[in-house]
Amino acid sequence: MGIKSILIANRGEIAVRIARTCKNMGIETWGIKTSNEPRAHYLSHMDKVFDLSDEYSEILVFLDVEKLMDIAAQTKVDAIHPGYGFLAENAYFAQRCINAGIKFIGPSPDAIHKMGNKTVARQIATQHEIPLAMGTTHSIRDAEEAKKVADKIGYPVIIKAASGGGGRGMRIIHKAEELAQMFRLATNEAEKAFNDPSVFIEKYIQNPKHIEFQILADSHGNTIHLGERECSIQRKHQKLLEEAPSPALTPELRKEMGDTAIRIAQAVKYESAGTVEFLLDQSNNFFFMEMNTRIQVEHPVTEMITGLDLIEQQIRIAQGEKLSLTQDQVQLKGWAIEYRINAEDVQAGFSPYLGTIEKMSLPSGTNIRIDSGIVEGDSISPNFDSMVAKLIVWGEDRQTAIKESKKALNKFWIKGLKTTIPFFRTVLENESFNCGTFTTSFIEKELDLMHESTDEEEILAAWFATLQYINEREKEATDQVDFEQGKNINPWVLNKRLKSF
Amino acid sequence: MDTNGKQFKKFLEREDKKNKQYGIDNEKKQHSKGKLSAFERIELLFDKDTFEEIDAFVTPATVTTSFGKTTESFGDGVIVGYGKVAGRLVFAYAQDFTVMGGSLGTVHAQKISKIQQMALKMGAPIVGLIDSGGARIQEGIASLAGYATIFNNNIMSSGVIPQISVIMGPAAGGAVYSPALTDFIFMTNKTSYMFVTGPNVVKEVLNEEVTNDELGGAEIHTKKSGVAHMMYEDEEHTIQGVRKLLNYVPSNNIENPPVFINPNETPDWNEKLRDVVPDDPNKPYDVKDVIYLLADKDSFFEISENYAQNLVIGFARLKGQTIGIVANQPKVLAGTIDINSSIKGARFIRFCDSFNIPLLTLEDVPGFLPGVDQEHMGIIRNGAKMLYAYTEATVPKITVILRKSYGGAYIVMNSKNIGGDFNFAWPTAEIAVMGPDGAVAVLYRRELEAAEDPDTLKKELVKTYRDQIANPYIADEKGYIDEVIDPAVTRKKLITAFEALQNKHVNRPSKKHGNIPL
Repeated sequence: MGIKSILIANRGEIAVRIARTCKNMGIETWGIKTSNEPRAHYLSHMDKVFDLSDEYSEILVFLDVEKLMDIAAQTKVDAIHPGYGFLAENAYFAQRCINAGIKFIGPSPDAIHKMGNKTVARQIATQHEIPLAMGTTHSIRDAEEAKKVADKIGYPVIIKAASGGGGRGMRIIHKAEELAQMFRLATNEAEKAFNDPSVFIEKYIQNPKHIEFQILADSHGNTIHLGERECSIQRKHQKLLEEAPSPALTPELRKEMGDTAIRIAQAVKYESAGTVEFLLDQSNNFFFMEMNTRIQVEHPVTEMITGLDLIEQQIRIAQGEKLSLTQDQVQLKGWAIEYRINAEDVQAGFSPYLGTIEKMSLPSGTNIRIDSGIVEGDSISPNFDSMVAKLIVWGEDRQTAIKESKKALNKFWIKGLKTTIPFFRTVLENESFNCGTFTTSFIEKELDLMHESTDEEEILAAWFATLQYINEREKEATDQVDFEQGKNINPWVLNKRLKSF
Repeated sequence: MDTNGKQFKKFLEREDKKNKQYGIDNEKKQHSKGKLSAFERIELLFDKDTFEEIDAFVTPATVTTSFGKTTESFGDGVIVGYGKVAGRLVFAYAQDFTVMGGSLGTVHAQKISKIQQMALKMGAPIVGLIDSGGARIQEGIASLAGYATIFNNNIMSSGVIPQISVIMGPAAGGAVYSPALTDFIFMTNKTSYMFVTGPNVVKEVLNEEVTNDELGGAEIHTKKSGVAHMMYEDEEHTIQGVRKLLNYVPSNNIENPPVFINPNETPDWNEKLRDVVPDDPNKPYDVKDVIYLLADKDSFFEISENYAQNLVIGFARLKGQTIGIVANQPKVLAGTIDINSSIKGARFIRFCDSFNIPLLTLEDVPGFLPGVDQEHMGIIRNGAKMLYAYTEATVPKITVILRKSYGGAYIVMNSKNIGGDFNFAWPTAEIAVMGPDGAVAVLYRRELEAAEDPDTLKKELVKTYRDQIANPYIADEKGYIDEVIDPAVTRKKLITAFEALQNKHVNRPSKKHGNIPL
């Protein structure tokens, strides 16, 4: 059965993105107008809008399953697209859609549940012999057992307190000789800190790369991967820059990791688009981390190098169509890099920068794509994430992509907000970024300066400071201060004031 | 000049010699370090051509020992005098680093002491521009005695005339205590530092490598230690900041603050104020947005902006009249009161009280900051500082409760019963013994434990609590609040109320001094 109308249970950039594909496919779109942002730009991309702007509720509608089911019933849509975030990985929501006879554009509730639960996912991975960051899930009794486990998984290992947190009761062990002593220290510390001496052991992966594979799987048992995305440039697990392919992967490694990703997807009978995340260590061993059962923020880089529309693929799979291509037909062409232009103050530790976009001008060109849900005059509010836009740049190879990116970032201009643009400029100048050896500790280890600064900028800043100084001097000169009035005190007060001394 | 006699010739020669001393070379020495010369600083501080120098020709004390040497120079490394700032009498001294490293010898100290005493006699503010290597070792105990005299003067002047210290170079060892005793410390980023023991001693004793800037630079003192109040990127802006501050404060503790005559553009009725506090009681907002909408345009002068940011303090004007603002900042630590913010607030309140500056409190406080650290470091004693300062203050005191106002923190933030003259509340106010979550947990512990669906029950109870208890109306009906007001009319209300309080006077029992929990 073909899908004729879709309710987009999301906002911002991704709502616009979904609506664009729907328009191409001739599907009617419904958007939801909320009281938080009744004039939001994404609404103008919808065919129809369900107006909730008069309703104030404690939970945001995009998180409210009952309300969404109610809206779906009233608008009589065939399907719901959850986008990313909010309810995109909520098995209950997916089930409720199915019960109501509405297609949930995404995997089955069962697959969402299995991959969403870390222990279940780990068990499934173990059953299917997927490489995991090795370790024990039960607690270790004594140093001897610890040694056995550590020998088996190989050094370095990390001992962690079972009920721990905040780094206490945690010890990294590089050599077997250190183990006994470190084990004792860790258990003592855990005992003291958490009243519980139990610890467990895990393989310690030093400076890994974050590599993820895009999966497509239809309801007829066909599963393919669309290559990897390199997402190592992150801050506190928040991705900032993603590229496809990864400079670290050889075709052989790509095939091996891709096949593994397909096996994981097949293990849970996955349907729709999904992402399998791996950690890749410096000796090219990879470990399954988790699977994201939704469309990712960074999906455009895969689209740029495969020529596929992933949202379209999701919709076609949901309609029960077979995948239009086999693994052999997947061709990765060129290089794509995505920059998350967020309204953040990089110098203040990437804290969200709230404010209004006074003016914005965007770069354009055949190899440049911008996904955004914001226009001039919109403001970044604390209600939602601080993303302004995603800039995606394509080039024939990595060097070209980087060169084009520099040009594009120079033309990307926003007034009224601090953004991550200057941060990306420094990243692009960084040596370890350019040779592709960077890891997830890139920001802490490789970057001396978080933002770009040039000589001209300093001169300009000095000019501005001077100008401001002169203006203030001038203002001061015209200010009228009446000191006499301050001396002219009512006798009632003056006498008492003097007496009280 | 030929017609003048011999005496006049000598006068001119001396003048000439002195001018040479402060010539281009002197300036170059300072400029090469990114600093200005002492005279350039003086020129920036005072209105054009108003500075009068005294004791310009004194020479250093004679040293009897042969240890070290003193250079021949006029002034002994410090320029002292008086002039006009925005037309008002201000005294100042500026240490000259190019003369024996600005070190403090007997004569140097006498000059500073003289100008301090003049300022105190005349009831005018004094500004110290500090750039000194410390006590002059050659002069021994005499220079220490000099410091002691300066400290003594600082303490005698405290609360009588405003004292401002501007650190524009080193201030090390005992020298830091003169600034510490004054009301406000300004620092210039990168070129100024202050510490009791320098990096060399730290290295010797603790074997820790640390730079001047890391140990006691402007950033450290304005963000971490709270020792300094204001930081600027260069000396021009630093001195401009001092000039600005002087316009808010009276010349002494008998006068009232100066009044600004300006056609202010801030509307007395502003609908925007209704939208600042979000509907969701747990959402943060910037209390400075409220201040900008209430105060005269561009009049808010924030003090200690980067230290204990959960409390915002600063001067502002309402229809030209100076007020001191103390406001909880919901954006930082949810606006709770912790040790640092209490100390920051208390000191500011006491300054305002000393110098007849009315106080406006903008309150949105969920309580004191909980935690082992806070308790162990003495939040009890330190939290009491702000309570003491507010209660002790006799200047007009007005509070506007914007949102949360819970428990002990409610009392501290200038509540009616500790002497607040007017307490207004916005309709968004929540005034109660504790927040909804805490109250429900205490009063309905058993019910919640027994409930099948504790979350839903809790939600209902929280809602009931908000509707029935945590609102401004009970306090209003019982008289603990003077009025629940429409946020849009707040400015108008404040102007009228402060006007009514203009001639406020409170009698306090006479005592030597109180015993604030230091």
